[in-house]
Amino acid sequence: MLLTTITFLPLVFAAALYLLPERFSKMATLVFSVVTFFVSTLILTSFDKAESGLQLVEQYKWIESIGVTYFLGVDGISLWLVILTTFLTPIALMGAWSSIETKSRAFCVALLALETTMLGTFLSMDIVLFYVFFEASLIPMYFMIGIWGGKRRIYATVKFFIYTMAGSLFMLLGIIALMYLGAAQNGGQLSASLLDLYKVDIPFIRDEFFNTQTLLFFAFSIAFAIKCPLFPVHTWLPDAHVEAPTPGSVILAGVLLKMGTYGFLRLVIPMFPEATLNWGWIFMFVGVFGIIYGALVAMVQPDMKKLVAYSSVSHMGYVVIGLFAWNEMGVTGALYQMLNHGISTGALFLLVGMVYERTHSREIKDYGGLAAVAPFFAIAFVIVTMSSIAVPMTNGFIGEFLILLGVWQASPIFAAFAVLGVILGAAYMLWMVKRVFFGQAGPLIEKYGDKLEINRREIATLAPLVILIFWMGLAPNHFLDWSKASLDKVVNNQFNYELTIAPTAEGSTKVAVKE
Amino acid sequence: MDLSIQFGLEDIVCIAPALILFIASIIPLTFKVLRGNKEIRPGIAVIYAQVGLIAALLSSLILYSQQNNVFYVFYRALVFDGLSVFSTVMVILLTSVALVFSKDHFATKGKQFSEFIFLMMNAAIGMMIVAWSNDLIVTFIGIEMMSLALYLIIALSNEQTLSKEAAFKYFVLGSLASAIFLYGVAFIFGITGTTYIDKILEIAPVAISSNYMFLMGVLLVILGFCFKVSIAPFHAWTPDVYEGAPTPVTGYMATGVKLVTFVAFLRILIGDYITSDLTGRLVDVLQWLAVITMLVGNIAAIMQNGVKRMLAYSSVAHSGYILMGLVAGAVGGESWLGATGVTYYIFAYSIMTVGAFGVLSILERHEADLYSMDDLKGLASRSPWLAACFALFLLSLAGIPPTVGFFGKFFLFSAAIKQGFFWMVIWAAINSIISVYYYLRPIVMMYMHEDESKDAGPQMSSSMIAVSIMAVLVLVTGLATEPVYEFVVTAVNSLF
Repeated sequence: MLLTTITFLPLVFAAALYLLPERFSKMATLVFSVVTFFVSTLILTSFDKAESGLQLVEQYKWIESIGVTYFLGVDGISLWLVILTTFLTPIALMGAWSSIETKSRAFCVALLALETTMLGTFLSMDIVLFYVFFEASLIPMYFMIGIWGGKRRIYATVKFFIYTMAGSLFMLLGIIALMYLGAAQNGGQLSASLLDLYKVDIPFIRDEFFNTQTLLFFAFSIAFAIKCPLFPVHTWLPDAHVEAPTPGSVILAGVLLKMGTYGFLRLVIPMFPEATLNWGWIFMFVGVFGIIYGALVAMVQPDMKKLVAYSSVSHMGYVVIGLFAWNEMGVTGALYQMLNHGISTGALFLLVGMVYERTHSREIKDYGGLAAVAPFFAIAFVIVTMSSIAVPMTNGFIGEFLILLGVWQASPIFAAFAVLGVILGAAYMLWMVKRVFFGQAGPLIEKYGDKLEINRREIATLAPLVILIFWMGLAPNHFLDWSKASLDKVVNNQFNYELTIAPTAEGSTKVAVKE
Repeated sequence: MDLSIQFGLEDIVCIAPALILFIASIIPLTFKVLRGNKEIRPGIAVIYAQVGLIAALLSSLILYSQQNNVFYVFYRALVFDGLSVFSTVMVILLTSVALVFSKDHFATKGKQFSEFIFLMMNAAIGMMIVAWSNDLIVTFIGIEMMSLALYLIIALSNEQTLSKEAAFKYFVLGSLASAIFLYGVAFIFGITGTTYIDKILEIAPVAISSNYMFLMGVLLVILGFCFKVSIAPFHAWTPDVYEGAPTPVTGYMATGVKLVTFVAFLRILIGDYITSDLTGRLVDVLQWLAVITMLVGNIAAIMQNGVKRMLAYSSVAHSGYILMGLVAGAVGGESWLGATGVTYYIFAYSIMTVGAFGVLSILERHEADLYSMDDLKGLASRSPWLAACFALFLLSLAGIPPTVGFFGKFFLFSAAIKQGFFWMVIWAAINSIISVYYYLRPIVMMYMHEDESKDAGPQMSSSMIAVSIMAVLVLVTGLATEPVYEFVVTAVNSLF
């Protein structure tokens, strides 16, 4: 019951908010989401690191006639993404405490509902349930950007919704086709469980576009490529990020984008191995292109938030090339980079949000010399920048280094171009730091002075992120050990990947489907 | 020649819902006459009607308990199978909800409300007959009965210009559609010598592959249905009629009429005979009609500024999706999947559409109010609950999980994919994406714009309760799809 509890706890809390006066909403939500975080860490107590299969499995009947079950499970791939989600939710709220003044209860409800859908996406092991959560996550995010966003919020939120929906509808067609293909090979018995779908033998013809596996591969990939987002379908992201309120940006960058890369790792690569090997170069190319393109566009942005948004495009490119390198280093690095990106980009959005709350300007040219009046803020910003540009000792280094090693093994040319992104990344981030924090004091610095320094609440928000940046940078094995078994299985069983349910402590290997 | 007509208890039990509805429909009218032509209070009149509807529902439960058996009654003119029970229950539900909305709406309440109730309930009887019919002539009579009642209901509106135009338009084009249908029936009767649908379906595979006259008949019957369910390019009456009719009636027409007409359409197309027609083009034609309907409906809906007109075009688009399922159900193979998809979808479509029109009918401020997108601004702060319900209906119409609209699309798409209509499904998916744009617009207006209007939010009323029940149904049948799906599968199984 643990996973169901974790998934639906935020939703229950959201309902509970209506019992409280509106002015307590934010406080209550903070407490609730911290509680959810601690409950989610309970997974770690019963999680077996050496086991590659699904653990803590729960399976109940849902839509029996078409083989759809309510099926939750966690393995090394989803474990840290779940904890990242529950970790970032309270941080996002706390960091932007004073930016949400109107309709705070509705905001908290949206935030908690969003948390439920994200957790559900990472924990579902039934493809229809996965799709339901994946799509449902659009609704709270849509309201979050549309109601509490900036000037062009409506354009941004509708674009976000339609882009993502467009991708996922093709995935829906793919899901249905895959289920029927599975049924045809399994005596007509429909099943939407991932355990069964991995076993489906999907016909494939090399280098030909119109064959079942290639079409399914692209149907799924489009959905996840838009979610990641990959060049050239990334255009919703800068708009959504810039217009979203700070907590929305943090969650969007921190967790929602990971649904895309998680989808690649969980569904696309193991399920369509031949197509991945045959067509993976497209994603390698698009990923590398995105790395360089995102970095170059970020460099010329006059707006700090937009700069961070484009840096996301660049960083997610790394994750995708790591995944499609499909070797131990690449995939491990990609998973690690997903977490890093969640933490460092989440932190960057928080920091930009903090200064924006005070000055209502994100223009880089209005700043300058910020370090002199806000030293703590500057320290935090520089540390997060280091993490984002992958300086050794920070988490970003581990992730990007592993990815580059992996990609080098797979294809040195792509690796050579991907390395360019590291240099460019350092260039745009450090240049921004220089222009904002050092040099001549800008107009806003003179106007606000000491008021720009962050307060205790904000320090408390940033502290866990900074600690994690160093912890993950210095002791990556504390985290990667948990995922190793599952990732090795993806890498070592390229053509015969099968997800299994781990034997439970009671010794039963199969969980019966309960009524 | 023996002309005596005999019928037994079984026949009476089977049509009991219609009989009860008829008796209930004249009660308010009788009271009015007895009181010297003075209108009784609308609330009371609606309660009489609701009691009748509940009684009809209970009487249909007798059939429900027998739903695995198929009864042919009245000399095989009517058939009572699972699909009939499904339609009866849905028609009763929709009538009941539409009557509640009518009671509170400016265009329908007032001095002729007893007559209004009489006509609504007789339209319901017509709808049931269409859904029950096993004889093309009876289908025709049912269609006429329901349409005549609806022409009058629309014209009864307190609104003085648009509703009269709508009624007239609907009457002219509806009669044309009926004439085309009847013409088709004449061809079919001429070739096969029968009007019983089950008999025709037995002969059809041979007849359609050898006889142009029969093909012509089938084509005309299909055309007649296409008019009725507003398949493009025969949809032109839909936006005007839907806009001119009083909103509760629009909700009733958009759901009830479509529901039963699609059921009758399904009964006639089921099997695989249309694949073997002489020209070999019939399936293609139907596919194209489906795709064109979706495109026309969705693209026109984007351009609308009136909420009612937008919903009217959206209902055209939904007819296209359903026709896709019908095609999947009419080509043999796993055609039960197509039939199930269609039936599930009309269920989902009915409850979400009637709910959306219900919200609109609560919002309208006087009888000639054409609610525009701008009027929705800030509704979320004026009336949060109503806005939430409307948002839910729209998200469901757009097919976002976990609402019932998503599962409706899921089953329709499944059927079409399983039957191999990949291109049609891709078109449907593209259309769903287009539709998201205009379904999101009212939500944007309600939630993301400041409140500009001075008027207070609508009062609590029985219509609000009805809307809430529909909203709960949309969500609950979405989350707990299995029982509904099972019910639909059992209902459809009796067709094969």
